[in-house]
Amino acid sequence: MQVIQVIINGILLGGIYALLGVGMTMMFGIVKLTNLAHGEFIIIGAYLSTVLANAIGVDPILTIIVTVPIMFLVGMGLQSGLINRVMKIGSEPALLVTFGLSIILADAMLLIFSADAQRANVPYNTASLRIAQGLNISVLDLIVFCISLATIIVLSIFLKKTYLGRSIRATSDDTQAASLMGVNVNRTYAIAMGIAMATAAIAGMCVSMKWVYYPSSGGNYLLTAFGVVVIGGMGSIPGTLIAGLILGLAQVIGGANYGQLIAYVLMVLFLAVRPQGLFSK
Amino acid sequence: MKDNTTTLHKPVKILDGIVMLIICIVICVALYVLGITKTFSNNTMRYMFKIFLYITMGTMWNLMSGFTGMTSLGQQVFIGIAGYSVAVMTSTYKMSMWMGLLVGAVIGVVFALILSFVLFRMRGMYFAVATWLIAEAVRLWFNSWPFVKQGAGMTVAVKQIPKVRELYIYALTLMIIALIVVYALLRTKTGLGLTAMRDDADASSSVGVNIFKSKLLCYLICSVFIALCGGLFALQKGSVLPSSSFGIDWTVAMVFIVILGGVGTMAGPILGGIIYVILSEFLAHFPGWSNIILGAIAILVIIFLPDGIIGTLQKKLNFEIFSQKRLSAPKKSLKQKADMAA
Repeated sequence: MQVIQVIINGILLGGIYALLGVGMTMMFGIVKLTNLAHGEFIIIGAYLSTVLANAIGVDPILTIIVTVPIMFLVGMGLQSGLINRVMKIGSEPALLVTFGLSIILADAMLLIFSADAQRANVPYNTASLRIAQGLNISVLDLIVFCISLATIIVLSIFLKKTYLGRSIRATSDDTQAASLMGVNVNRTYAIAMGIAMATAAIAGMCVSMKWVYYPSSGGNYLLTAFGVVVIGGMGSIPGTLIAGLILGLAQVIGGANYGQLIAYVLMVLFLAVRPQGLFSK
Repeated sequence: MKDNTTTLHKPVKILDGIVMLIICIVICVALYVLGITKTFSNNTMRYMFKIFLYITMGTMWNLMSGFTGMTSLGQQVFIGIAGYSVAVMTSTYKMSMWMGLLVGAVIGVVFALILSFVLFRMRGMYFAVATWLIAEAVRLWFNSWPFVKQGAGMTVAVKQIPKVRELYIYALTLMIIALIVVYALLRTKTGLGLTAMRDDADASSSVGVNIFKSKLLCYLICSVFIALCGGLFALQKGSVLPSSSFGIDWTVAMVFIVILGGVGTMAGPILGGIIYVILSEFLAHFPGWSNIILGAIAILVIIFLPDGIIGTLQKKLNFEIFSQKRLSAPKKSLKQKADMAA
């Protein structure tokens, strides 16, 4: 029973890990940008959701109706106003600009929200479903897992079936050919960043319900997201799911003290041995 | 550098003749004399101590990123390791601070050697993020390692706390050695190989640059000097903490210094280091704003002055201070020699 419990916990944790990484993997795959500010985007999503939920007194899940469009627009503006410009200079300056952005955002949040721990309170915080003797599933974990899975499925259907999604994938495969076929590359990049920000809004909402977070938590979530990207393979959305599960299991097996450490070591090993990831093209 | 070909055809004035050497020696001697004779106040020396160490760290980061193409976001790992070495050697084993610095440097090198096998399989952004991951992993490990008192941190317990003046001298010496080592390295064949590797790793490998060996040499030099900086910082501060010793702020500083001064220039990190320390002391009056302003400046510099202050000046005015390039040098230096002889 203990083993099954651990596996179930790992899988549930893996769902949210996949969600943390999916925005980053899109930026990697489509825009070819390592977005080091993704962790801060997630925390911004968390704060937006918590503040909004407290202000109107609704369930945090409902706040994504507002936060997702806001973050989408902010992402589009950021990409077309700043990052598209820097990417013309080179990939290394672009990397450093996102690094600068992450530092700025982390400290700006610290100024606005102070260093206090935050957490969204939901009534089903501690509720759990009892499946068998010694086998419980936390309701919150289950909800977060379902939201993560739904987001990732919707995103992959969007990329596969819609015209916009196809043009995004075309840009990802061959930027030059896509632009010759009439795809506006800069606009596509802006939309990709918008989508990445939107997933960060949802991920932030999940983070705010599941864990305590601080303005400085972005770094941790960035590294988790990066691990998902690396293990799953750049730009591969099914890969993020598997990678999330692997990381989730590693974390749960390692326990509170060494879980994060094991996850990081796993990522570095993956980077060294198979940097293209499990599911790369 | 992308515009190697264009600068080659312009008459570039290389400032590295005997005159520059004398100026540098005079500056160094003056700094020593002013420090030893207590002309500087303690406060000034504290500033200068920081400036020297930040210049050293910036120069090392520049060697890795600007000259070799290894952009690391995890050099703080060596600061932390060395800081903890000093703390452990002095408080747990009751040894001298020199032993602490030595052990810090040795562990730094060994750690870098082990890491190199993993890290050198990666390039570009993979390398950058992997170094960061490793630094974070080490920080987490120190956070839960009872031997180093977990998250509570340790104090440096030296019998005689080094005076500001002594620290000033150590830092100055370290900086001078670091600058000479980097310049000398870049002027050797290995250094030429390093720059070639940054511009095109595959092409340089095909003409006989041993990529692994060159990268390793460079990485080891960086780890030693950054570890020594970390050790000195720990001595000055008197305590180490996992969150601050392994903090990302160290890397923020190094990146800022190099970008502001000019990536891939010898003089860039020197100017960048001076500006960084002055600016961060000034920004200490506005708690919380420091990183926001530094980050914003860095982004603006990347957009509007991608070559940094020194790099832009060099391009505009066609000069280079202690250039690592040799192709454009011979004519000038020959002429200079002729001038000297005449």
